[in-house]
Amino acid sequence: MGSPLSRFSVTVDDGHLAELDSVASALRDSGMEVERVLGALGVITGQAPADARPSLLAVPGVTSVDEQLRVSLPPPDSPVQ
Amino acid sequence: MIDPPAAARPPRSPGAQTTGRQVVVFADAADEPVDWSAAGISDVADSRDFSSGRVPAQAMRDAGATVFARLGIAVVAAGPDQVAALRGARRPVLSVSPELVHHVLPEDPSAYVRGYRDGVTDLAARLAGAPVPGEETPLPPPFADTAAATWGIQAVQATTSPFTGQGVRVAVLDTGLDLQHPDFVGRTVTAESFVTGVDSAQDGHGHGTHCTGTACGPRVPPAGPRYGVASDAEVFVGKVLSDEGSGDDGGILAGIDWAVANGCAVISMSLGADVAEAHPPYSAAGRRALEQGSLIVAAAGNNADRENGEFGFVGAPANSVEILAVGALDPRLTTAWFSARSLPVPGGEVDVAAPGVDVLSAWPMPERYNTISGTSMATPHVAGLAALWAEATGRRGYELWATLTQASRRLTEPSVDVGSGLVLAPQEGAGTARGRSRGA
Repeated sequence: MGSPLSRFSVTVDDGHLAELDSVASALRDSGMEVERVLGALGVITGQAPADARPSLLAVPGVTSVDEQLRVSLPPPDSPVQ
Repeated sequence: MIDPPAAARPPRSPGAQTTGRQVVVFADAADEPVDWSAAGISDVADSRDFSSGRVPAQAMRDAGATVFARLGIAVVAAGPDQVAALRGARRPVLSVSPELVHHVLPEDPSAYVRGYRDGVTDLAARLAGAPVPGEETPLPPPFADTAAATWGIQAVQATTSPFTGQGVRVAVLDTGLDLQHPDFVGRTVTAESFVTGVDSAQDGHGHGTHCTGTACGPRVPPAGPRYGVASDAEVFVGKVLSDEGSGDDGGILAGIDWAVANGCAVISMSLGADVAEAHPPYSAAGRRALEQGSLIVAAAGNNADRENGEFGFVGAPANSVEILAVGALDPRLTTAWFSARSLPVPGGEVDVAAPGVDVLSAWPMPERYNTISGTSMATPHVAGLAALWAEATGRRGYELWATLTQASRRLTEPSVDVGSGLVLAPQEGAGTARGRSRGA
């Protein structure tokens, strides 16, 4: 316990697109709080302890586990956006 | 497309050799037979009648007509008058041209020496401060906003395009839209928020309204010049960035998933993070979107400072192979000072460019309009143009991508900054067999 939560995007391989829900439940069993299962893209997003990454990557059908990027626009009055 | 001034046109090579035979191009109608007897032609060799589809050279020489069925093209030993009789036939003829004799391009051993001489002349002239030969011609005047249309809408030739994006769904994933904006009254807008804790796609920032305006704004706004490209496209507004302008992968990917599931042919994303590596979830999303007929167009990024010698790099998600990256141009069609340069890795290219400096578009009321700059402003120009091409050609996914780059106006700017150049709108006749065929 104690590892802070990180936001992850989990990419599922082409062979498991039809079984996204079972991949999602295997990710839950490995400690991920699944927020969204994106059926058209084969990507599952959610939160997990930062040190859970290796066990998420070990789930069958998972090709990539990436910490989520954050995007920030300049303020509305900025001349370049 | 854009004709060079007559004086600059290279002279046509004198007396191209012809064989006396004619090359006939037929319209696409594979099973419609050609009535050769109408032109008095017998002895037709058809590539389908030979094993492995190869017509032997001797058979070609002997035949009155050789038909390449897969290409819809025939080479006919007959005069142009005789061939003209085919024009009235059941299968329409697109063009009849004399068969040309082609040669291996000649090597020019003196080219190296001349190149060296020109280089020395150029260097001497530059050192002396004299004008360099060939560079005396003044620059064309920059584009400018008029009462009728913004400079960007003119530059991409949307003003003369008969296409409007009718029947095409365009998603703009951004800070949302001012849903009460008077310029969008009466339009079909489907709006959804993917920002945690925010229910409405109402835009409290301005960036999303500006981008939606450029991609899909009206043909004739109630006030001010035209600023939108695909005026009849069906608008899908996905709010994936908060009113503070921030968001993360979770919401952005959810927005892409929603747009793909709703059959949006184009997904415009004027957002990015300054990371030099492609981000695997966006690569997967881009590929799967393309496979389902949705093209993702993303901003290359604003991390250059060219006046201070910094060229920046294409950030995520635009640096994924499967996502089209858009750079920004100024009204002289030169690269904007902030527009990011290609990364030397697959996917890190700037693919195309579009107007992105001093771009007027919609802004949440009461301001109504605002003029700002950024690769964010270039991106929705390309999204709108993609919708016009999708309407004109029916193409989707990778085919639509190829069409956009093919239809770009090449620029003299480095390709690392502008890719294939300025994307242009389809004009009258684009997307039909007759329109695509030259000399029809």
